[in-house]
Amino acid sequence: MRISNYQARLLLLLALALNVFAARVARAADATSADSASAVAAEVDRSLDARFSTATAPPVGLADDATFLRRAFLDLIGKLPTSNDVLAFSLDPSTDKRHQLVDTLLADPAFGENWARYWRDVILYRRTEERALFTRTAVTDYLSKQFNQNTSWAQVATAFMTATGNVREDGSTALIMAQSGKPEDVTAEVARIFLGIQIQCAQCHDHPTDRWKREQFHQLAAFFPRVAIRPDRSGAQPTFHVVVNDQPFRFRRRTNNNNRYRGTLEHHMPDLENPSAEGTLMQPVFFVSGKTLPTGTRDADRRGALAEWITAPSNPWFAKAYVNRIWSELVGEGFYEPIDDMGPERECSAPEALDYLADQFAKSGYDTKWLYRTIMATAAYQRQSRSRRDFDEEPFRANCPQRLRGDQLFDSLVAALDLETRIPPRARGRGGSRQARDPRTVFNLAFGYDPSDPRGEIGGSIQQALAIMNSPFINQGISARRQDGLGALLRDNPQDNDALVELYLKVMARGPTDKETQTCLDYIRQVGDRTEAFEDITWSLVNSTEFIHRN
Amino acid sequence: MTVTVQHQSHVAVNKHRVIRRRDFLRSVAATGAAAGAVRWSDMLALHAAELRKQEKACILLWQAGAPSQFETFDPKPDHDNGGGTRAISTAVPGIQVAHKLPKTAEVMDKICLIRSMNSREGAHARASYLMHTGYLPTASVKYPTLGSTAASHLADPDFDLPSFVRVGGTRGGADAGLLGVEFNPFVLNDATRPPDNTAIATSSGRYRRRLGLLGRLDEEYAARGARQEVVNQGKLYDKAAKMVLSPRMDAFDIQRETDATRATYGDSPFAAGCLLARRLVEAGVTFVEVTSNGWDTHFDNDERTTELCASIDQPYAALLRDLEGRGMLANTLVVLMGEFGRTPKINARNGRDHYPRAFSAALAGGGVRGGQVIGGTSPDGANIEDRPVAVPDMLRTICHSLGIDADHENMSSIGRPIKVVDGGEVVTEAFA
Repeated sequence: MRISNYQARLLLLLALALNVFAARVARAADATSADSASAVAAEVDRSLDARFSTATAPPVGLADDATFLRRAFLDLIGKLPTSNDVLAFSLDPSTDKRHQLVDTLLADPAFGENWARYWRDVILYRRTEERALFTRTAVTDYLSKQFNQNTSWAQVATAFMTATGNVREDGSTALIMAQSGKPEDVTAEVARIFLGIQIQCAQCHDHPTDRWKREQFHQLAAFFPRVAIRPDRSGAQPTFHVVVNDQPFRFRRRTNNNNRYRGTLEHHMPDLENPSAEGTLMQPVFFVSGKTLPTGTRDADRRGALAEWITAPSNPWFAKAYVNRIWSELVGEGFYEPIDDMGPERECSAPEALDYLADQFAKSGYDTKWLYRTIMATAAYQRQSRSRRDFDEEPFRANCPQRLRGDQLFDSLVAALDLETRIPPRARGRGGSRQARDPRTVFNLAFGYDPSDPRGEIGGSIQQALAIMNSPFINQGISARRQDGLGALLRDNPQDNDALVELYLKVMARGPTDKETQTCLDYIRQVGDRTEAFEDITWSLVNSTEFIHRN
Repeated sequence: MTVTVQHQSHVAVNKHRVIRRRDFLRSVAATGAAAGAVRWSDMLALHAAELRKQEKACILLWQAGAPSQFETFDPKPDHDNGGGTRAISTAVPGIQVAHKLPKTAEVMDKICLIRSMNSREGAHARASYLMHTGYLPTASVKYPTLGSTAASHLADPDFDLPSFVRVGGTRGGADAGLLGVEFNPFVLNDATRPPDNTAIATSSGRYRRRLGLLGRLDEEYAARGARQEVVNQGKLYDKAAKMVLSPRMDAFDIQRETDATRATYGDSPFAAGCLLARRLVEAGVTFVEVTSNGWDTHFDNDERTTELCASIDQPYAALLRDLEGRGMLANTLVVLMGEFGRTPKINARNGRDHYPRAFSAALAGGGVRGGQVIGGTSPDGANIEDRPVAVPDMLRTICHSLGIDADHENMSSIGRPIKVVDGGEVVTEAFA
């Protein structure tokens, strides 16, 4: 019997997998954390399962290993697993290999980077000041470090709320810079991101359906009046500093009218009848707990107190906002949707499960890696994926396909098509842009989206389709006239069947189904030219709907 | 609940479109029957013509950086604030413009000048956003830009080119926002060459073959449970493929114009943008935005506006003449404006700074009566003395010309109804 290249690889990988397995057993895992994660995951599943007893459609089954592997890779480190990863994982006989995989990926430095890019987008997509992009690199680096070190979410949130400093150097200034330091806009973003509450609806009028009153919004804004941003052109690159103004008249009015925001000592609620009047002086009050500070309090004490009150375990919204968001990213649907519009008047699809999980997250000391470990251990996470549910179906009966974010898709294309060495050097910005842009940034401009937007409403664009269909960069990757990439794959696998399996492993991180094998082999026969046919198959795979989703 | 409301409003919009499309098909069928046989190329031409008859188009010429009204449409030659800019007579007796716009002066009979634009926003990005959307930027609601609104109300969803094309980057100009990505602008950086990634690397036969294989493989993914994702992606790929394989793609190629026509527009990037805009509108595109950069003249205002005006004067006049000559002006609104005006006083660096309190804009075509001036400023240019036109008034006027219901409400993602234009009144004199 002839041993094909593919079978030989399987044997090789079997050995490799056993090695990996042995190494994992030997490594002392954080047993308590893992136990607590599994126990909490089981409890969440029990709570959700209770809802299906009367449901018309039962939950779908768990995803197979290859689907789980690709999902976990994309969710945690934002990259595709390699062919070897797929085979090794499929062959790993250990029963807890899914947990082990999650632990391995959480320890990968790419984990911090992936989620840093996510939160960078959460903050910067809502920027009302274009130059907040100055913080792009700094905020990504800052968050990447925090996530990899597993800094508690309370500490990270506190840093964003209390930041000062050069926005190009200190990434925690990004949230304030994104709203150019304006107290009302910063307040709205702090409430949206850290509490999941859209209190800014009450900025101009008492919200018709929410309990928050206009005054409460402006009382919250009263924690931020002394913050300002100051331009600085002294260095090689123009930048801004988030500064504090605790003294009257510290900043003189600039002569030109370019609307630079200056800090004020206290916040005033505008008079709607008379917008040019000073308005009503507001005392800082945190609307959730009702705690107050006197006017005249120094900035450091104001923002420090607010951060402390927001991140206190007695405030349930802080943990819920984070859990709801991460759950939505991982399972495909939030308990509340949109994910950043929660609050007592909003409908939660499974309140017991969310309350429990948020409570446990708070008890863990807002341990973010613990939360990933826990959610990814639930059946709700591990189920097969199905398109977004209809409204009459129970939530969480399946995982939900998520469109890859720009960074995830860029890395996936580079890996699937062996383009690492062919990434062009920093392309010069065109169209009057003074900034040189690297290919990833250019790609993100076309493919990125605001991660807070309801995922069901995020479609693609014609430009995106055109870029994958026709761009010279992608075409290089599809060409079989290369020494590496598809050229090498076809040379190493003279049998069409083998080549097809290898191509699917590389691009789709799974083997082809019988039907796909048939479709492709028919296609190859029909085209008559092996090279041309495989180029077409590769083109079809990277352009497929499955490729641009995490399933 | 939110999504349900939104879903319903989409259905309503779609229903509206379906009805209009049916009307259109009926009228084409009638024309075709009368003429006997209709060839495919004729059908294309007919299609575009029908679209123009029923659905208006708009070309927005955006002066990014905020143009000085003193050096364009509101010269003050008798005042110190005038900065030495002379006023010249135009084709319309009694109306004068800055001497830097001699060709525009010749087509004044087609232009309705508004000299009393005003707002409170003096920061570029926020003011650009305001002028494009009617709203200031907020983190919670993403307001749609004018072109996206026009595309969502007027364009035929089956049209094979993008309905909203932007030529040159418009910083702060916003995009489709809450209307959804299908109404986002198709952005071109350079009007002189075809858009990126529209040249296919294979024969069109092989391209179609690949699309066929893609469809078969996607069908298997749909069968595994991702039906909705595949349907949506399919729509997008149909549209993208239809576009690159469309015979109408020639509309993007201004080299196909005669030398004579190209000469009338001139050969600056803005001129190419104007010519491209005409070609696209002619092919059935609903909204084209062309940006002219560099109007932020904090330094050497006089010198720089001389160059800037020279770069727009000829193409602007040529565009209006060309549209008129082709019988397209009546249904194509051409708007020339920037985000605010510039200070009456010349600063120490011979420049003018930001001034949102009084500035000018120009409307032409689309039912607007040319040869008139609406509103006016004080002799020193510092204040509006007659008929102020606020930003919502302007946007309402544009909607009126295009037949868009400015009170139509879109649903934001948090379930808040957002009007196309909030407040304001149509400047009815513009159409009288």
